[in-house]
Amino acid sequence: MNILRKVVETFAHVMPDRDRDELIQRHRFLGQPISRLDGRPKVTGAAHFSAEYPVEGLVHAAIVYSTISKGAIVAIDTSTAQQAPGVLSVITHLNAPQMKVPPPFSVGDSPSSGTTLVKILNTDRISWNGQPVAVVVADTPEQAEHAASLIHPVYAAEPGVNSFEESIPQAKQPKEIMGEAPEVKKGSADVILKDSIHRVDLTFTTPPYNHNAIELHAAIAIWDGNDKLTLYDTSQFTAGTAASIAGVFGLKTENVRVISPFVGGGFGGKGGLWPYTQLCVLASRITGRPVRLTPSRAGVFRIVGGRTPSQQRVAIAAEPSGKFSTFIHEGVTAQSTDNHFPEQFSFPPRHLYAMDSYRIAQKVTEVNRVANTFMRAPGESIGTFAVESAIDALAYELNLDPVELRMRNEPDRDPVSGNEFSSRYLREAYTMGADKFGWKNRPAAVGSQRDGDWLIGQGTATGTYPVYRVVTAARLRINADGTAHVQTSCQEMGMGTETVQTQHAAERLALPMEKVKFEYGDSTLPAASVAGGSSQTISVALAVHEAADNVIKELLSLAQKDSESALAGAKFDDIHAAKEGIFRRDHPHLGQTYVAILKHAGKDFVEAEHKTGAPLETMKYSMHSYAAQFCEVRVHRLSGEVRVSRWVGAFDCGRILNPKTAVSQFRGGIIMGIGMALTEETMFDDRTGRIMNPSLAEYHVPVQADVPHIDIVYTDIADPHTPLGAHGVGEIGITGVAAAIANAIHHATGKRITSLPITLDKLM
Amino acid sequence: MGSNIAGLMDFVLNNRRIQLPQCRPQTTLLEWLRSNGLTGSKEGCAEGECGACTVLLVRPHGTGSKYVPVNSCLLFLPTLAGQEVLTIEALNENKQLAEAQFAMAEAGGSQCGYCTPGFVMSLFAEQYRPGRAGPCDPHSMGGNLCRCTGYRPIRDAALSLGPAPDDSFRGRLSSPAPSMIPVSYTSIEGRLERPGDLAQCTTFLKKYPDAKILAGATDLAVESNLAYKRWPVLMSIDAVAELQVFQDAADHVEIGAGLPLSEIEFLWEHAPLVAREWLPLFASILIRNRATLGGNLGTASPIGDAAPMLLALDAELKLGGANGIRRVKLQDFFLGYRKTQLEPGELIVSIIIPKPFPNQARFYKVAKRRMDDISTVAACFAVNFDADGRIAQARLAYGGVAAVPIRVTEAEQSLLGKRWDELAVKQAQAIIASELKPLSDHRGSSAYRLAMAQTLLKKFWCER
Ligand SMILES: Cc1cc2nc3c(=O)[nH]c(=O)nc-3n(C[C@H](O)[C@H](O)[C@H](O)COP(=O)(O)OP(=O)(O)OC[C@H]3O[C@@H](n4cnc5c(N)ncnc54)[C@H](O)[C@@H]3O)c2cc1C
Ligand code: FES
Ligand code: FES
Repeated sequence: MNILRKVVETFAHVMPDRDRDELIQRHRFLGQPISRLDGRPKVTGAAHFSAEYPVEGLVHAAIVYSTISKGAIVAIDTSTAQQAPGVLSVITHLNAPQMKVPPPFSVGDSPSSGTTLVKILNTDRISWNGQPVAVVVADTPEQAEHAASLIHPVYAAEPGVNSFEESIPQAKQPKEIMGEAPEVKKGSADVILKDSIHRVDLTFTTPPYNHNAIELHAAIAIWDGNDKLTLYDTSQFTAGTAASIAGVFGLKTENVRVISPFVGGGFGGKGGLWPYTQLCVLASRITGRPVRLTPSRAGVFRIVGGRTPSQQRVAIAAEPSGKFSTFIHEGVTAQSTDNHFPEQFSFPPRHLYAMDSYRIAQKVTEVNRVANTFMRAPGESIGTFAVESAIDALAYELNLDPVELRMRNEPDRDPVSGNEFSSRYLREAYTMGADKFGWKNRPAAVGSQRDGDWLIGQGTATGTYPVYRVVTAARLRINADGTAHVQTSCQEMGMGTETVQTQHAAERLALPMEKVKFEYGDSTLPAASVAGGSSQTISVALAVHEAADNVIKELLSLAQKDSESALAGAKFDDIHAAKEGIFRRDHPHLGQTYVAILKHAGKDFVEAEHKTGAPLETMKYSMHSYAAQFCEVRVHRLSGEVRVSRWVGAFDCGRILNPKTAVSQFRGGIIMGIGMALTEETMFDDRTGRIMNPSLAEYHVPVQADVPHIDIVYTDIADPHTPLGAHGVGEIGITGVAAAIANAIHHATGKRITSLPITLDKLM
Repeated sequence: MGSNIAGLMDFVLNNRRIQLPQCRPQTTLLEWLRSNGLTGSKEGCAEGECGACTVLLVRPHGTGSKYVPVNSCLLFLPTLAGQEVLTIEALNENKQLAEAQFAMAEAGGSQCGYCTPGFVMSLFAEQYRPGRAGPCDPHSMGGNLCRCTGYRPIRDAALSLGPAPDDSFRGRLSSPAPSMIPVSYTSIEGRLERPGDLAQCTTFLKKYPDAKILAGATDLAVESNLAYKRWPVLMSIDAVAELQVFQDAADHVEIGAGLPLSEIEFLWEHAPLVAREWLPLFASILIRNRATLGGNLGTASPIGDAAPMLLALDAELKLGGANGIRRVKLQDFFLGYRKTQLEPGELIVSIIIPKPFPNQARFYKVAKRRMDDISTVAACFAVNFDADGRIAQARLAYGGVAAVPIRVTEAEQSLLGKRWDELAVKQAQAIIASELKPLSDHRGSSAYRLAMAQTLLKKFWCER
């Protein structure tokens, strides 16, 4: 850990907590199951996604992808493509202007969203199978695709590191993992393990996965002269995209406008700047025409990275009581040769269980593959698979109920940092979930339930995901007609951002929801951070909260210019927003509406823009969301077919701001976890480094028939240290899911499957 | 509605007549819609998997019509000549949400919203399905993928919908649907012909032996979209009545090669169990609304699902060509990897399944995903017993275990005259191991496929 961080952490510990927000108690809009505001444009097809903006004179670009994983381009003949019908331009490394490589992904004060250090189209070097080697611009998409199919570069191939398994011996410990130490240890874990009677020691593997949002990535680039650019891009991070593209093309950030209100599913796959965006901008610059670039589904697989594969060892020793005496979690993930993202799979045990001794460590290898990136609950989703499967195995070893074993290891404080938990009600979540599921009726013995040829089992696992808050700016304006505008550059990927933030602003300003307009998805608005890490809801909420306070202060001082005002003499603490205006707390009928204040002051509006401070609270407290996942599976005795027949997810995620949208996030996460456990897998050909199943036909996301009955319950206990008492809910749902399924399969069959996905052949 | 009758070179889109544009005949309806501002239909795959592109065709139903949801990414534009199409943009033309739209919004069935128009179209078609009663069936949306919601709110939306309201959309269903008119479409980039009867077909094929036969396009449009395959001349069989027959006679069933699978499902009232369990496992409802048996056999894919069932049922094919009709046993039809008995200029006219159906017949499909997936191994088994209860006939057919769909004839032989017991199964399983040499690929290893081929026989026996 570097010194600066140490200093900041020390500072964070002495910082007083933020005042408790009184909205934590309010329920007029917050906490209500309000239907999403963007429902209507979505069910009518009127909502525009990136590729769908009508633009005059649009032309189309298509990418040529490399077919080797490592080597150099020796020759690239584009003459046939140049002459193909409709072709306007063919761009390769031979004629592309120099572009800067965008700095790696960062959400700090200078946002950036670079995903790879490869100099796309500015080099003859090839680093992965699928790397763009040419772009064709033509009048129609099909002409562009056709011409692209005519380009066959000649390569000098070199042996690449195509196989993750074979690369493992070369794994190295990275300097840090998201600012944390790659290895933490206490006591002599190996010795304790060796001397222990009760222990498990298992190795797990997880395959690469891809996000496969149903909307394909797409960009439309429109230049205005040489120094201004409008970009419609499927981006979860407009501010990062704007800054990065500005850097690549040497523009001022404020001259790049990135528009992306609706994102058709992201799950992390649209958080970074992937090559298609840069190539679209390039193609537009060179042709002087507005250009659209929409890679096909296969194209998205080739140039947008997914989740890393992993190999993880979990070894736990326990006393007969179940108390963990040591805990080892170590393993390896992959990153590409040109990016830095060692996925944080070792984070869960750092915060989950009381442990006297531990060693938690991770390494990373480099492979010639498309850069890996975050995908729904990076780290925690694969990490919980290994950790929670191993704990289940230990429960059988100890002859203890798996829930009970976990409860016996509930920590009082964060086991590694020693910090206080901001809010931890995992025990309560387990109680609620077990109740709803009927866990107490589960026979302890393995393989003891059967229905014809179907073997039945029940499993459980803990899920966990950190609370992240990121620096975010928002502008809030109250107009003379008593309406309010809230603006920030964030995205609506379906989480319900627009709805929840409108609920929030209406509650905070004591306005009806119809009078609040939430504007988003445009990088020229005050900068929000990436819609990722389940951080957007609380990050935006804090910015809106603080901006609203400033506006109210300003309105109060405007009102007080009139000495007759009912608010005369009142301090900020004496008043609050009520009844569409400002009223005294002690005399609730004394006050003025916004309309009256602004009318009297002769102003059209009052507005404030505010940027939140750094999330020091996350250094002072151990802040996490928790899940207790319960499921039932049926495994066919003969064919090995697995069906998840029932699910209960019990969540502890602070206060739930909108049950309707939140429950949908939980459920969506669980379903993605079912896919991760049973059917999904991106398959690389280890000889060539090529993805073998780049389509929705061969990459199996769950279909309706795969989805069991799912019950969601939640503690709904506000976290006193987060904005609105809430936690993000986008990622927690997927965590623990794969382990719960593997554990249920073990309960049904006696087979402990340690490698995902759990396909039929593994159960035969 | 329905006033704008389409002609030879135009079609009705959302109640407006649209001239067929001059385009490459393989331009899909989805491409055309999205490049003409109708972006409510989404593209998530261009290969019939996601259903985001779902639109409705108005097709005949008795004397009236029905709405048939299909993947617009798999419809070649000129095949719409004379047809009537609805896209999501039509549903709230009078600014009022259709009930399916309202239900989806209220139930939270739309999250990121990208899949939503597709789900809405499938659900709308279900709500207006003639003869439907009770709540809408969520499985009607089985061809639509959603990555966000976990499907539950979408199911809730379906279950909340009752009978179709008495509106213009329902009104449209009482008047006839457009008929499939012959088409001759030529553009500088290619040609699409839709002859009106079998004789015209074979004449055309004689003249253009390289013409590609086009049925439901659920294989061909995927090749076109993803592999950029181009055919200078396409011949659609959609308007050929001889390929649309369905006859359930005393000693056989005859199924037109050009009949979409969902039509077969509708028409075959007394289908045996094996056919009823086979249908829902074949692709998705959206694909079944277009895919045909002729196309499935014509593709001659080793993993096609129709062949194993039809082999087990001992089907025969009627092949038509310039010299008339000939009959071929399906068993003799497949010659090698994607090679069949079809001579140049010949096409499959119909499939004939003899009656009575076997005493016991079942279809099994092993795939990576439970629904809407290509088979790793497909199997269909049929046995007949003699008066003594011994096996008199056995047909054990597989897909996915060889270059062609095949029967394991030695294993079949081994069963004859035996009692249908575990010992007989064991012996047959052993012979299967020597008869089959499956390939390994990313869907499954050779050993796994062989193990499945054996296990499925056991399952068949267990389920006797
Ligand atoms: C999403 C999706 C899921 C699928 N799932 C399955 C599945 O589960 N199981 C399965 O088996 N298949 C599946 N398929 C493949 C496909 O749907 C079937 O093969 C279908 O039966 C093809 O019929 P079609 O009418 O669409 O054929 P087309 O695409 O029109 O034609 C296919 C081929 O057959 C030839 N042909 C068509 N009609 C005739 C005829 N009458 N005589 C001679 N040749 C002819 C054509 O020239 C062409 O070569 C799936 C496809 C998609 C897109
Ligand atoms: S675009 Fe996916 S099915 Fe048509
Ligand atoms: S709502 Fe996003 S894919 Fe269905």
